[in-house]
Amino acid sequence: MSTASETFPREIAAPAAAVSTRPAQPFRLAEAAGVDRKNLLDFTFDGQRYSGHSGDTLASALLASGVRLVGRSFKYHRPRGILSAGPEEPNAIVELRDGARREPNTRATVAELFQGLTATSQNRWPSLRFDVMGVNQFVAPILAAGFYYKTFMWPASFWEKVYEPLIRRAAGLGRASGSHDPDHYEKTTTHCDVLVIGAGPAGLMAALAAVRAGARVVLCEEDFLLGGRLLSERRMIGNRSALEWLREAEAELRAAPECRILRRTSVFGVFDGAYGAVERVGDHLPVPPMFQPRQRLWRIIAKRHVLCAGSLERPLVFGDNDRPGVMLAGAVRTYVNRFGVAPGRRAVVFANNDDAARTVADLAAAGVAVAALVDARAEVTPEISRIAEAAGAKLLAGARITETRGRLALRGAVVTDAAGTRHNFDCDLLAMSGGWSPTVHLTSHHGGKPVWSEAKAAFLPPSHLPPGMAVAGAATGDPLLADCLASGAQAGAEAARLAGFQTSLPAIPETDGESAELQPLWRVRGGKGKAFVDFQNDVAASDVALAQREGFRAVEHLKRYTTLGMATDQGKTSNVNGLALMAEFNERTIAQTGTTTFRPPYTPVSVGVLAGRHRGHEFRPTRLTPTHDWATEQGAVFVETGPWLRAQYFPRPGEADWLVTATREARAVREAVGLCDVSTLGKIDIQGPDAAVLLDRVYANNFASLPIGRVRYGVMLREDGFVMDDGTTARLAGDRFLMTTTTANAVSVSRHLDFCSQWLWPELDVQMISVTEQWAQIAVAGPRSRAVIEGVVDAGFDISNAAFPYMSCAELTICGGLKARLFRISFSGELAYELAVPARYGDALMRRLMEIGKPLGVTPYGIEALGVLRVEKGHPAGNELSGQTTAADIGLGRMMSKTKDFIGKAMAQRAGLTATDRPVLVGIRPWDRAARLRAGAHFLARNVENLAANDEGYVTSVAYSPALGHWIGLGLLQRGTERLGEVVRAYDPVRGGDLEVEIVSPVLVDPTGDRLRG
Amino acid sequence: MVEIGLLSRSPLAAVLQPGHYGQPGQDGLVVQERTGLHIVNLAARRGQGGALAVAVQRSWGLELPTTPRRAGDGRLAFLWSGGAQWLAIAEGTGDLELSLKDRLGSLASLTDQSDGRSVLRLSGSRTRETLAKGLAIDLHPRAFTPGDTALTLAGHIGVQIWQLDDTPSYEIAVARGYAGSLIGWLLPAGEEFGITVLPPG
Amino acid sequence: MRIICPLCGERGAEEFVYHGDATVRRPHPDSSAETWNAYVHLRDNPAGRHSELWYHAAGCHAWLVVERDVRTHEIFAVTLAQDVALARRPVTA
Ligand SMILES: [Zn+2]
Repeated sequence: MSTASETFPREIAAPAAAVSTRPAQPFRLAEAAGVDRKNLLDFTFDGQRYSGHSGDTLASALLASGVRLVGRSFKYHRPRGILSAGPEEPNAIVELRDGARREPNTRATVAELFQGLTATSQNRWPSLRFDVMGVNQFVAPILAAGFYYKTFMWPASFWEKVYEPLIRRAAGLGRASGSHDPDHYEKTTTHCDVLVIGAGPAGLMAALAAVRAGARVVLCEEDFLLGGRLLSERRMIGNRSALEWLREAEAELRAAPECRILRRTSVFGVFDGAYGAVERVGDHLPVPPMFQPRQRLWRIIAKRHVLCAGSLERPLVFGDNDRPGVMLAGAVRTYVNRFGVAPGRRAVVFANNDDAARTVADLAAAGVAVAALVDARAEVTPEISRIAEAAGAKLLAGARITETRGRLALRGAVVTDAAGTRHNFDCDLLAMSGGWSPTVHLTSHHGGKPVWSEAKAAFLPPSHLPPGMAVAGAATGDPLLADCLASGAQAGAEAARLAGFQTSLPAIPETDGESAELQPLWRVRGGKGKAFVDFQNDVAASDVALAQREGFRAVEHLKRYTTLGMATDQGKTSNVNGLALMAEFNERTIAQTGTTTFRPPYTPVSVGVLAGRHRGHEFRPTRLTPTHDWATEQGAVFVETGPWLRAQYFPRPGEADWLVTATREARAVREAVGLCDVSTLGKIDIQGPDAAVLLDRVYANNFASLPIGRVRYGVMLREDGFVMDDGTTARLAGDRFLMTTTTANAVSVSRHLDFCSQWLWPELDVQMISVTEQWAQIAVAGPRSRAVIEGVVDAGFDISNAAFPYMSCAELTICGGLKARLFRISFSGELAYELAVPARYGDALMRRLMEIGKPLGVTPYGIEALGVLRVEKGHPAGNELSGQTTAADIGLGRMMSKTKDFIGKAMAQRAGLTATDRPVLVGIRPWDRAARLRAGAHFLARNVENLAANDEGYVTSVAYSPALGHWIGLGLLQRGTERLGEVVRAYDPVRGGDLEVEIVSPVLVDPTGDRLRG
Repeated sequence: MVEIGLLSRSPLAAVLQPGHYGQPGQDGLVVQERTGLHIVNLAARRGQGGALAVAVQRSWGLELPTTPRRAGDGRLAFLWSGGAQWLAIAEGTGDLELSLKDRLGSLASLTDQSDGRSVLRLSGSRTRETLAKGLAIDLHPRAFTPGDTALTLAGHIGVQIWQLDDTPSYEIAVARGYAGSLIGWLLPAGEEFGITVLPPG
Repeated sequence: MRIICPLCGERGAEEFVYHGDATVRRPHPDSSAETWNAYVHLRDNPAGRHSELWYHAAGCHAWLVVERDVRTHEIFAVTLAQDVALARRPVTA
């Protein structure tokens, strides 16, 4: 659009340009309820400069500037203008901002104007006025209902290469910015007694009633101003204008200490017990203020909820009803009264109801010529005749618009009257009203279905509402202002009463007279042009008819086949008309046809706000060990294990990769001494007279017999007989044990123990609490570990092998009186200890042990080396404790007690779990010792085909063994224990591996265990 | 207390430095890491809840709460921490676990948690709004008052929070390993209100 | 969904871990394989009111018996599992 004047109908002269360097706003009126004429703002649309005022939306500012053409339609690329003045807008969809803050698919009708706003139209290429894809409308037959299904069937490979890129360009889906969103989003929660959704007349009355009762109230309004339709209409409440009443109501609510007003906030869903809402904190600003989020996700937990979501006007379905300049009648009044913008110079109004007649009066009052009032009804009220006459509009009752003219903007309309006579009107604005549909989306988010009312020609809220919800105002189907004020007051007072407050109904002010009588008109027959039902997805009445002929009769089928109501506007303007047409074509009633289910979100919600701060490194909380800062200083590489960050390995300069480092670290443990933070293992303090009884029931092996001061390895099963977890448990006193779990299962084992003690055996006197975080625990492992430990234990504690043998534990003091716990346990198979101190001393203890161990060659090691050491010793860990292995499978079958009951005992004996051909734990080494093993490879006999049927198990863990000088592994192999010495293949189709491996004992280093007992 | 040769280290040493953060000139949130707290978990032995309450009353003159409440003061408080379970929290140098053991004997199982939890004190006029960004419980004065406590989630992290006074000020205890992540949530949540981080104390 | 923990008060479902049917009882150790199989694997799937075990994982660590309509998520009662378990005849190991 080069100049605004191009859009004028020829017979109307453009006003003289304003004396200003700013672009003129030739369609701006003198009076406006909602814009600040003193505050001028500059913006650009498709690179062209325009001006507007604070209080404008992008849509109202574009209209003020004379811009009509704002987009191209989705499928046919037809020129489209602004249809509505609210969130239901299907056409005026733009990209806001540019660069990393570019936001596609924004509705111009709700985008608040700000200084410097840049907006770009979508769905056009290369430009809005000249759109190559506009040819789509000439090939429209192939783009009819079901075209996605019919056209893009074959061959499948065309989808990625041809169809999808083509559809994306042609259909003009918005572009994501491709950069990281520079803004932040946050989430917050609020609680209240009464949540009021919508701040129109009903919502304001509801909030006032609840606030006056003393309730905590949250009032959410999607718009940036409170008032709803009060801003759009010239009405009287009490003896003053509705705007004055609104100002007073708003002032009272603002002054109420327990009322939170959330403007720019869309409630998009009702979830069980909570509402989700998005507050657009910074969307109306070029850049969010420092420390403010762009958007805030609210979770609102309310005792009662009053839905005052209003209603949305329906378009009329007639030929070429989509030209720029065809607008909903209510939106026309909004632009005139609220924004002070004339959406045209010469209008025709087309309606099937009484309400739309006020459009004629409002346009006339604003100085816009009204050529005709076309009322589809044969009879109209004297009031309507009077309005038409006063405005100088020709009244055509029982008539319909059958054609429109104009290419990039509306230039005229053809009216066919009851007698079949055609009347031609020049006009640049066509205000249409097919009646109003209550906004019932949120009422059906709990599965309730809206109910069709023949009398009101509308879907009304279901009788089964989400718990705690009441509906008031136009959303109930009673759109009259007087009814809205009354039902809002009633619902607000009742909600407060049900939330526990004493209430009285506030006085309900009188209003001026009104009528909303309506006679449905679902489509105008006989027009030639396409009659659109769903503007955003380009679904015309003919598409609905075609779908019906092709057998798509159920609502949900029709919806998917035609894509009616499936665009970003969620069919806000199209659903009812679509259903009515479907009912007509199926020769059924609308009630019989049903409605589609409304699912959250009611309005599009950005992924950013749903994620809040939880993205990138903040995706989830991480848990740090007591020696984390020390390990960071050492240059450790960390890895996530569950929520924990653990040191994976400690690279030294010159080491090529993790394998070199881990090999060095593992060798140091075998030959000297190593240190490893093992604090992440779950530690559970189990106390009470029945502590041993509980342990005997949750472990497969015996614990009652464990002497004080000793540690025992235990394995616990799930009730289905598979292994749940393993670890060591120490007996600190007769009635006190310290259980350790694997890092991964710490939380689930705790929960399991609570289950056992609270639910299965509530009579047991046993108390449990996690002490994982209380103690820093460091493994000191290797032949020189005793010397290191000697350096810290206080005098008087004998750690000789005789006094403190393998599997001992003690509470003692170290470093001059610090209480500590010492365990002689070994995961590495070497002489080893685990030393625990209160967590705050973990860092200092690690530094002290490093210092003491320096002359002994002490080496910190990470979990890679830990893994090497345990594979060498054949200890099962996470890969072997997969939830699909039995104790017998991993070589622990003999631990299962035959003399007591324990969790999993009965089911462990079932046939499937005791079958002799189950895969069991074996060690493997490559026949070619230079070869590298890979975990995940499958065992196949040497001379069979590579088929799943021949699969005999798989490699669970592998490691390069510094002790043996070659790769080794653990695996689960059918009848593995009988097959020691046999050679099978480790077949790895994913990585192209096929190696011969020898089956050996899982314990490949120090099989007699002399080292750990030394 | 015995002089020991190891220095203690806070899990927040690297992430919570005293100073001012966020909105300049505003102090909506004041954060302080608590130090020198002795924390011992008490779990009543089966059927001994009544006897335990009597023993606590006799020994310290405090009523052991049976609902999510805190009884006591800065020197010694009993904080409800689940069914038949409490945290005893004391300031000072005595051995809290020993003194509890002496007076409560086998009425309760005792577990030292002094190192298992990090405790932050939060105060300032915008504390509630800050906390609402991570805690889903209702901290409105009609719903949560001084002496109330709750076990819940803060920024997806398990915490126990209790209110000290109407300022409002709160203390919030978190598993030590998650303390850094909790700060990683709290400081960004409060920055729009301005934050003062006090030296630990 | 919001669950009123008898100890902690009303909380969002995100604080709880669902476990399953609260009507099944762990069999006597000497029970038949069929009985054990039924206990571990067989569950009714009623459309309507159901008795379920939930764990207040992010709160007091209590196991709860929640009476809930699985179609509407309406909750009729929440009881400490331990109280329910103590009220029934103790099963010895
Ligand atoms: Zn609870």
